[in-house]
Amino acid sequence: MPDPETAVSSAAATPRFEPDERWVPADERWLGLDRRTIRPTLAVFALAILMSVVLPVIDAKVPYHDIVKAGDVLELEGDVTFVPEAGWGITSGIRAGHVPLSGEYPASATVEDGAMKFTLRTGQFHGDANQLLDQIETTSEALNRGRGVRLTGAPTTIVTDQGKQGATVRITGPHTAGVVAAFVFDARGVEAVATGPSDAGAEPAATVLRMIDSISQTGEGKR
Amino acid sequence: MTTTLAELDRARDTALDLSGWGRRFSFYQPRNFAFWGYLLLVGIGILVFLSTLAREYDAYGQAIGLAVTSFAIYGALFWWFAQHIDHYAKLPAKLMVVAFVWGGFAATGAMAANANDAILALYAKTFGQVWALNWGAGLAAPFTEEWAKGSGLLLLIAMAPRQVRTAFDGFILGAFIGLGFQIVEDITYAMTSAGTQFGANQIGASVGTIILRMVSGVAAHILYSAIFCAGLVYLLGRPGEPSKVGRGLLLIAIPMLLHGAWDSLAAIAGPSALKLIGLLIATIVVALAILVRVYQSTVKREQDFVRDVMAPEQARDVITAAELDAMAGNRKARKAYRKGSRKAGRKRSERKRARYVLNAAYALADELATARGADTDRVRFARTEVARIRAGVPSRW
Repeated sequence: MPDPETAVSSAAATPRFEPDERWVPADERWLGLDRRTIRPTLAVFALAILMSVVLPVIDAKVPYHDIVKAGDVLELEGDVTFVPEAGWGITSGIRAGHVPLSGEYPASATVEDGAMKFTLRTGQFHGDANQLLDQIETTSEALNRGRGVRLTGAPTTIVTDQGKQGATVRITGPHTAGVVAAFVFDARGVEAVATGPSDAGAEPAATVLRMIDSISQTGEGKR
Repeated sequence: MTTTLAELDRARDTALDLSGWGRRFSFYQPRNFAFWGYLLLVGIGILVFLSTLAREYDAYGQAIGLAVTSFAIYGALFWWFAQHIDHYAKLPAKLMVVAFVWGGFAATGAMAANANDAILALYAKTFGQVWALNWGAGLAAPFTEEWAKGSGLLLLIAMAPRQVRTAFDGFILGAFIGLGFQIVEDITYAMTSAGTQFGANQIGASVGTIILRMVSGVAAHILYSAIFCAGLVYLLGRPGEPSKVGRGLLLIAIPMLLHGAWDSLAAIAGPSALKLIGLLIATIVVALAILVRVYQSTVKREQDFVRDVMAPEQARDVITAAELDAMAGNRKARKAYRKGSRKAGRKRSERKRARYVLNAAYALADELATARGADTDRVRFARTEVARIRAGVPSRW
């Protein structure tokens, strides 16, 4: 085998010249930019604007038309149900009996009426209603860091139509007021949050209380 | 027909030119509009991600810590694997980082996340909540996420036109874009899971999500984007890869279909857990089979580049014909080379040396690419290293 240092040599001893990566040919410059890079970048900008501006604007302009009728019941994960007020709009959540193909209801549901909003959320929780309320307060304080909406006042007891005892506390914010209620059905925690404009009064509306009272878990009575 | 050394050298020059192998990549290119577009969209994405992280850290700090640590290890393992499968005309590592960052921040926070929320809400308003829950994700994400990730390759081609030259380059960069997307999305999912028990038992609530996302992740965004971006290169055509519109469109459509099927699995399977697991496994197997097929078809051109670059070295007796075949071949070829060493009755130490010679030859190929085929000091040194290892002389360095 020949000695690689002496017998092996390519034609050139120095690399062929290639212009610097930042160099732009004079006939491809436009306002100091490489003209060839403008079209692909504009295409990506167009896609970004479509995704981040156009679609959200269209979504904001399209109203919800799913209005609660008398007798409607919304169902959540873990067989938790509540009766929304007739005339309110369902912005998320599913009516009982309309189970998704996966067989599982979502973990939250929201109904709205003007500036009033009522959200029910469920999840696993080991403890009682007061402990759940403490946990909700801890998480809320950590997320808001003392700003925005806060849980205020001493918790009071609330009992649903099903006879389930829960804990409730008022929430206040710069422009918002409302109430949070917590229940625990076995190991299933339920959080109800109702908010509205602060000038609507400090006491929760009767409609909100009716929705909270209607919270139940299928089979809970039997247990 | 006899091929002269001069012809082999010219073929090497052509291969180096077409492949872009060994060329440096500069990220800072103020005269490149794509550079500014990249900075803007990645900057927005980083701000969105960090503000979410900062907002949720006090509440879900444990879950965030676990998710970030787990997915950092996951990302490092994938990085090693990607380096392991790319024996050929390698891309600059800096370019892969740029691809990863696009996928992690621009494609998620600046693009797809906004579109997903809007489309899902529009589906619910138009077709009802139940329909949106069943099919919404499967008919939103394949369009928003695949195009948000894939559009990054358009910017990368504009930023690195001399490096991104083949469908295999698109395949590798796509995988890194997908990895970035996957990791940031997984961290976001872990944060969501941490809140499902009202912020209590964060680790228990999020660990299942983290494990599931890790296991399924390989057959998800990484795979989708690798195939999609290979397809995008075929569609557009590059100097090292002639345009093949049909193949390009097919490779763009396949990951979108796979993504749609993946996101609709729960609806397709129904309430049966067994059916869901079966479909899950079947989808992963089909996706991986397609990935392997795309890898095999795209890597062929890169293997040819290696052969063209190293053929003059074989003609000059720096490496043997068997070594050239192993270098420019697939895993089987390299295995056959190692078996050949065994069949020849070599001792274990000699077989090990044969493997080291192959590694030194790959290093020589990289030096030749960096030198654009010229006979520089570094190239000559790399040749002496091949000869030294072959002769069994210990390194004096």
